[in-house]
Parts: sequence; structure tokens; C-alpha cells
Amino acid sequence: MDSPRPRTRRRESRDQPAADSSSDELAAGPEVDESELRRSSWTKQKSFTPQRSKHQERQYRESESSDELAVDADEYWRGSRGRRSPSPIDRHADSSSNDRSHGGSDEDRISNDDETLAPVRDDMSDRSSTPVPSVEAPSKPERLNYKEKFVLRGHLRGVSAVQFSPDCSMIASGGADAAVKVWDTLTGRLIYTFEGHLAGISTLAWSPDGQWIASGSDDKTIRFWNVNTVSQLRSLALLSVSLLTVLSQGRAHTKTFEGHHNYVYQIAFAPKGNILVSGSYDEAVFVWDVRRARVMRSLPAHSDPVAGIDVVHDGTLIVSCALDGLVRVWDTHSGQCLRTLVHEDNPPATCVKFSPNGKYILAWTLDGCVRMWNYVESRVIKTFQGHVNKKYSLSGCFGYYGSPDAKHNPPLAFAVSGSEDGAILCWDIVSKNILQRIEGHTDVVIGVHTGKLNGKRMLVSCGLDKTVRVWEETPEDQGQNGSGASPVEVVTETIVQNGIATNNDDDGDNEMTDAPPDPSTETTPALAEDVTMT
Amino acid sequence: MNLSLVDPFVLAQDYPDTLTEKLRSGHATCLRFNHTGDYLASGRVDGTVVIFDIETNGVARKLQGHTRQIQSLSWSRDGRYLLTSSQDWKCILWDLKDGSRVRTVRFEAPVYIAELHPFNHLLFVASLFEDQPVLVDISSPKPIKRILPSAPLRPQPTNGEEVDPAVAAKQAAQDAKHSTCVTIFTAFGNHIIGGTSKGWINIIETETCTTIHSMRLCNGVVILARLANNGRDLLVNSSDRVIRTVLMPDLSQLGIDFEPSAIKLQVEHKFQDVVNRLSWNHVTFSSTGEFVTATTFMNPDIYVWERSHGSLVKILEGPREELGVVEWHPSRPMVVACGLESGCIYTWSIISPQKWSALAPDFGEVEENVEYVEREDEFDVHPAEQVHQRRLDLEDEEPDVITLDRAEDTIDAEQSGVFSVPVLLDISDSESGEDIIAVGPGTMRRRTPGDGDAEKDTKSGANGVARGAGRNRRR
Repeated sequence: MDSPRPRTRRRESRDQPAADSSSDELAAGPEVDESELRRSSWTKQKSFTPQRSKHQERQYRESESSDELAVDADEYWRGSRGRRSPSPIDRHADSSSNDRSHGGSDEDRISNDDETLAPVRDDMSDRSSTPVPSVEAPSKPERLNYKEKFVLRGHLRGVSAVQFSPDCSMIASGGADAAVKVWDTLTGRLIYTFEGHLAGISTLAWSPDGQWIASGSDDKTIRFWNVNTVSQLRSLALLSVSLLTVLSQGRAHTKTFEGHHNYVYQIAFAPKGNILVSGSYDEAVFVWDVRRARVMRSLPAHSDPVAGIDVVHDGTLIVSCALDGLVRVWDTHSGQCLRTLVHEDNPPATCVKFSPNGKYILAWTLDGCVRMWNYVESRVIKTFQGHVNKKYSLSGCFGYYGSPDAKHNPPLAFAVSGSEDGAILCWDIVSKNILQRIEGHTDVVIGVHTGKLNGKRMLVSCGLDKTVRVWEETPEDQGQNGSGASPVEVVTETIVQNGIATNNDDDGDNEMTDAPPDPSTETTPALAEDVTMT
Repeated sequence: MNLSLVDPFVLAQDYPDTLTEKLRSGHATCLRFNHTGDYLASGRVDGTVVIFDIETNGVARKLQGHTRQIQSLSWSRDGRYLLTSSQDWKCILWDLKDGSRVRTVRFEAPVYIAELHPFNHLLFVASLFEDQPVLVDISSPKPIKRILPSAPLRPQPTNGEEVDPAVAAKQAAQDAKHSTCVTIFTAFGNHIIGGTSKGWINIIETETCTTIHSMRLCNGVVILARLANNGRDLLVNSSDRVIRTVLMPDLSQLGIDFEPSAIKLQVEHKFQDVVNRLSWNHVTFSSTGEFVTATTFMNPDIYVWERSHGSLVKILEGPREELGVVEWHPSRPMVVACGLESGCIYTWSIISPQKWSALAPDFGEVEENVEYVEREDEFDVHPAEQVHQRRLDLEDEEPDVITLDRAEDTIDAEQSGVFSVPVLLDISDSESGEDIIAVGPGTMRRRTPGDGDAEKDTKSGANGVARGAGRNRRR
């Protein structure tokens, strides 16, 4: 299957979203008329036609989405960006003005945009965002500088999920070719290929102890794969070549987790590794007892396919989201729903992630927004835009930036997501500015994950262009001289038996024990030629 | 993290009320939670120790090494080591990381209760059946046993006064009758509290193994002594059918401005059933020490008293069998007890009803009708673009997505040192299922305790079947 399959929107029959209480209650008539009406009233009021690119128009027609509001929001955003660009700096000034930590003033910034919108705002809200003088915080990086380090080729079809191992020494990726591949983060070489799933893989997760990879597939099962950690491999490599051949094989766990009636969409481990949570196309959320490979609890979650699942850092909460647009927060212990979050426009939600401290939830929706929710107060506090997301379940996560020495309040963090135009976007959490737009993939970027190895911050991404790419943060000044400019292409082939992985590194060469070599000196052919069947 | 969302009324309830779960793995006879409350160790009749994961109610690990009934269990502070004592005259210290035995200590008698030092997992006290209690140092493979005194401390004869040999002989004879039935460490492990068969409580210094204080608490045998988590409250069950709570002095102050002679143990409450004269199988404090719980002899009830007034607040019911060991979860309002007849582990906790307003964000639960007042601008029509833009512009907070709350920080710091039992994917689950299985129309059979163990211990398996059949006939 094509792992991130285009999703049919099942909302044709639905009326105006109930939550949309602001402006549409009185507007009668069919949806289309209403939206036309709204659009015309808007153009009248604004007294100019929105600058909408033809491309944009075409896409909209093509999708034939009944989700008028979602599209509207998207168009408005684009239109407004071209027209009256709330420039990043202005917004930054806005936001920092409310920060209690910055007192005093050294420069007054008043944005013109705020003035133009002022009358509208006044009658709509009592909250004023009038800029207040602000002082620059301890210098905050305006840009991120992630450079491509490796391009990992080996998957035969699109790659739908990628994740760093807990210690970041390995990368696991899974895709539409039904294979899970494990890569060494330092060298970019393929360590294992696990095959056994009967259909494409949509999701995978490392167990917290790094011993297992769980993968969820369209064959309705979740399978466990044992991984010998790279460190163990390294010590073994010194011992004996033949021993390594025997021991370095990963092996499939004998039990498969069967129970879902349809594609498994996303899975997540609880921090202790004893519980696995899975969301499925069959609209259920299952809480599994990992030890017994048995469903412990089924959460009566959603009325549409469940697309996203995450577990908070202490394991007490589960968040799930579905294509019905609802984001639900559950108590792990009692299995009760504690909160439901829904945005007014009710766009299908495809991915959810807890923030590192568990206080916020990041939710991806098919209206091209990533929203950060304060789930306790049930409100959106940030909306990140700029990527394209209309069709695929993109995912991403949180990351850290800035030098560790500099103390910032709040600490510097970014949200990262893939995009359907092949880019990876990093947004600053506070200012919502795009810190970096990472280009490289040639097709939709489905998954992004952040990690840190040997003090270097890394990103790993995967996409429909069949590649997994590793990105490394480099200091701004180094980036110019092009030291790490050319990424290393790592092409690997392995012969794989069903359910058994073959290690292509069983010649026991010392490269794995070496310090990370300069990417340019790392050679590909040596890796590719050693193909052994065991 | 879930506390901010849970109904405060549910959080306010601090004792359980409903029978919720039934865990089963063989015939359990004793239970103990680890300090964080993630795992429950259960000792079985056949000598197997089973570690349950409380989050999944599944078996996390099985430890096989004893050949007879397990008498007591004791967790190390970090939860990695478990000390078990058994009627096979052995104590075993287990490493739960790989399930191996760190030390095996043999005694000359069956062991009543063995307890680990609160900070040193290579030191424990054991009270033995008809023998002197011992303090055992197992830091080296060869255990070093030091015998602890059982006899109460007698006032030293003042200088120059001759001790009457007849009195001395009588005293010696009396002292010889004392045998210690229970020994536990105090909160810091500097002292050992011993309870004797004559109803005396001895406080023994760990370092010197000498009694520094003795007190006569009751006439009966001291069956069980437990310390509350705060280390200042002692709970004593004795054969005179009275449960006593005793306020402990702060023994860590000894030697600073507090002399051993000034130690005074004060009985705070006496819990008893004056009407039925029930005697108590097993007692425990709640996590906060606020409640006292006891299982009753020949009775399927669990009594819960609260300590501030000493009043009975709840009788937990459910199973139809007499219950033995009862334990209170170290942080949650949850009580577990094991049935004497079936060996099942019963769990009582709070069931909070689903709040319907949590499922639909635009619904609220109200106590009575509320007249809805329309906002002035509620039905104003605004262009959606403006609404969207305004919404974006309002997002001017500076959220901190990384820093953990301070309270949680401290918990995390604690937990970072806490050991977590590895997740084994190949634990046999043959015993964790239903314990009654249908063998034909209308006939049920109790599942033998573990298919795997059935070969090894056919006797107990046969007993189980016979007993199960008997029960079915009664019904």
C-alpha cells in the first residue's frame, strides 16, 4: 500500500461544524452558498480582491473538499501573507511585549498592521495586542542551521515513519515496502532489515530501553523486532567475526499483536515500556499489555479513523486524534476521557504530540496548520503555518535550539514538521517564526524526528522519495565554507529472508568502531558489496 | 500529569470503596508493593515469587528458588532488589534486573519475617520460628549473622546493690521465655524494633545489637509491626485482638539531645471490635498513615479506620472468602488483599464515573438549569479571514514546552534513580487468565496454579482442583 494513503474525507454528510459558534449561526442555506456569501462579504469589506494564485485555485477545485472552512482558512492565510504580511519581526515584538521577564524599553515598535486591524479587533475581543516597548532578550538565534549529513537509500517505496532510538545511536525507518530498516546514526550504514509484515508500515516506535522496535502495519498487526544495540555490536566486533555473524542478527518477536480490525495507524510506548498504545483505522484506540501481547483496554475513542497517538512523559495521559477532527486526552490508568479538544473549523487531525514537559499538545490538521493546545484550558495557543498539508498524515516533533549555556526564559524550543512540498519546517514555539526551511527531499516529507548524539543536535526525516535523510545542526559560520556541504549518499542493498534480518556488516570491519568519520571520506561501495545470507 | 484534569472530588477521596480487580497467579500468601507503587510482589504457597505490574495487572517477572510457602517480602529502596523469606528456612535476595539470586541465606529454623535495611540492600533482619532474631550482613558472599536480643531491657542494678541470685535466676528464666516474632527497621535503619511473644516492644540499636529501650505493650503475642511511611507511627497487631498505633520518638535525635532513657512509646489508638471480638489477620497503614486497615479472622471483610478520631470509616467487602495479607498502595487509594482459600489477589480502588462533558467540548455539566445570556456580539457576522487572523494575533503567549513543573521535577529526580523492572516479552501468561474454566456443561473446574508449574507441584494443583470442585458443589 502507499503508506500514507490519501484519506477520503468522510465529512460530506456533515453539516456546519457545531463548534463554529462565532459567525455562522445565523447564516442559513446550504454550505456552499453560505461560504460564497461570506467570501463576498469579506471582499466587499476589504474592497479588494484577494490575491489568490491560480495554482491555489486549481488545487482547491481539485480536492472538491466540502471542508469549506479549512480551505478558507488556508486561502485567507495565504492571501493575508501576500498582502499585509504580519512580518515575523513585528510579531516577535508583539509576543515578547507580554513577557514579564523583559522590563523597560529601548525601542518602540508599533506595527502598522495592528493599526489597520484595530477597529475590527476592538469589537471582537477585549484582549489588546497593542505592542508595548520591549527589550531584546539575551540574543536568541533567528535561524537554525541544519545541514544534510546522510541520505539513506534502501527502502523500495515511500518511507512513512522514522525515529531515533532512545540513545540516538540508531535510526529506525519503516515504509510502504513493509520493511523496517535500522541505520547507524554515526555512519549512516544499514544495520538491520526486518521483514515480516504483509503490508506497508505506517508507524513504528522504539521501546524506551532501546531493545525493541514495534511497527504498526496495514496488515492490522503490530510486530516487535529485537535490536542488539550498536554498542553491543561494537564490542562484539572486536571479539570475533564469526560470532558477530551469529549474534548480530536481529530477530522478530514471536508474538504479533493482533486485534485491530483495520490498518494500524500510529503507535506509542508508555515511558516504562510496559504499555503500548495504538490507534487504528478501525476507529479504536487499544492499550496493550506489552508483556502479554494482549489488549488491556480499548478506548471508545472516535467515530473516524484514529490517526495520531502519543503518551505523556510520565505515562499518565494518552492523547489521540482522529480524522473526525477531535483530539482526546485520556487517563491511562482509568481509561477515561478527560478532555476533548476541537478546533472550530473541525479539520481532520492527523497527528498529535505531547510537548517534552507534557503541558501542551501539538496537533497536525489537514487545513495546513499545526496547532499547539493548552489542553488544560482547552485552547489553542499557537498556530504554525507555512507548510503544505492537505492529504498526508504528516508528523513531526519538538526540538531544542540555542546554545546550552545561554539561559532563556522560556527555554528555546522549536516545532518541526514535514511538508507536502518536500521541505521540513522548523518554527520557533514562542514567535511562530519559521527558523529554518530545510530543503532536500524531492517528494512529500512524512515524518521528522529530533535527537541528540555526542552533543550534536540531529534531525531525521523520511518521505515519499524513498529516502531517509539525517540532518545535523552546524554552527552558522561553518555553514558558509561548505565543509559539510555535500551529503553522503548511503545506498545499501540487503538480501532479506522473511522474518529474519540479514546484517550486511558481518565482515566485522572496524568502521563501526571508528570515531565518526568525516562524511566525505565515508565510502559507499564498501558497504554495498558485502551482502551475506545467513 | 493527569492531576490537572482529574475531577477534584475523585482526588479528594483517599480510601477505596469498590472491588475492581482480581489478580491471579497461583496461590498467593503474601504481598508487598515496591516504594513507588509500580509493582506488587506476591509470594506463593509453592515458593514462587511473582512480580505484578500494577499498570497492566500482568506478570512482570517470576522468581523461582524457594521450595515452600513464602513468608515475607521486602523491597529495596530503589526497587531493584527483593528479599524473600520462606518456610524452607531460607532467605533469598533477588536482583530484578535479570531475575538472578544475589544471595541465599540459610537459617536453622523457618523464617517468620525478614526485612531489608531501608538504605542498604545488603543488610537485613530476620525473625525466626522459635529462635533468636538475627541481623544478617550479606555484603560478602558468606553471610555474617549477629543474634539480636529478645529479652526486655531491665533496669540496671544500682551500684553496690547485690543482685539477689534467686531474683536473677527468675528473671533469666522469664527472659528465656521471650522469643521475638517480628523485627523491623526504623525509618533510617539505625534501630530495629522487635516485638516479642510476651507482648513487649524492644528497640535495638543496629550498630551494637543491644536493646536500648523496652516497653510492655500488651499481654498477647506481637504478631505484626509496621511503620508508617513517615517513620513516626508504629502499627502493632497482637493476639489480644487489639490493633494499636504507637507514636514513635524521633530516634535519629538519639545522642544529640535525646537520651535512650528518655524514650517513651505512647499508644495513640486501640482499634478493636468490642462487639464481635474479632481478631485481625493482617494490618497495614494507608500511604499517608491516615488510615489503618485490617483483615479479619474468619470473615471476608476489610476494616478501614481513620486515625485522627480513631473511627471506623469503611468496611470493604466483595470476596466470599477470608482474607490474609492486606496492603495499601504507596500513593494511590488502593488496597490489595489475598484470599486465604483461593489465593487470589483482590484489589479495591475508586471507580470514577466518566464525565460526559469531557467527551464533548461544547457541553458542560450543570447542577440546575441556567438561563443562557447571549453575549452582545455573539451572533455578529465577521468575515472568516478576520476571525482567523485575529485568532493568530491573539496567540501572543510565551509557552514553555520544556521545563517540568517543580513538583514534578523532584518526583522525576527521585524516579530517575528508581529501577524499573525490564519488560520481558516471553513471560508465560498461562496463569494470569481466568481461574475457573469450564470443562463441560454446568461443570467448572479451577484452573491448576500454572500449567507450567503443575508438573513440578502436582500436589498443590490437585488440592486446587479438589477445593474448586467442593466450592462448586456448595453453589
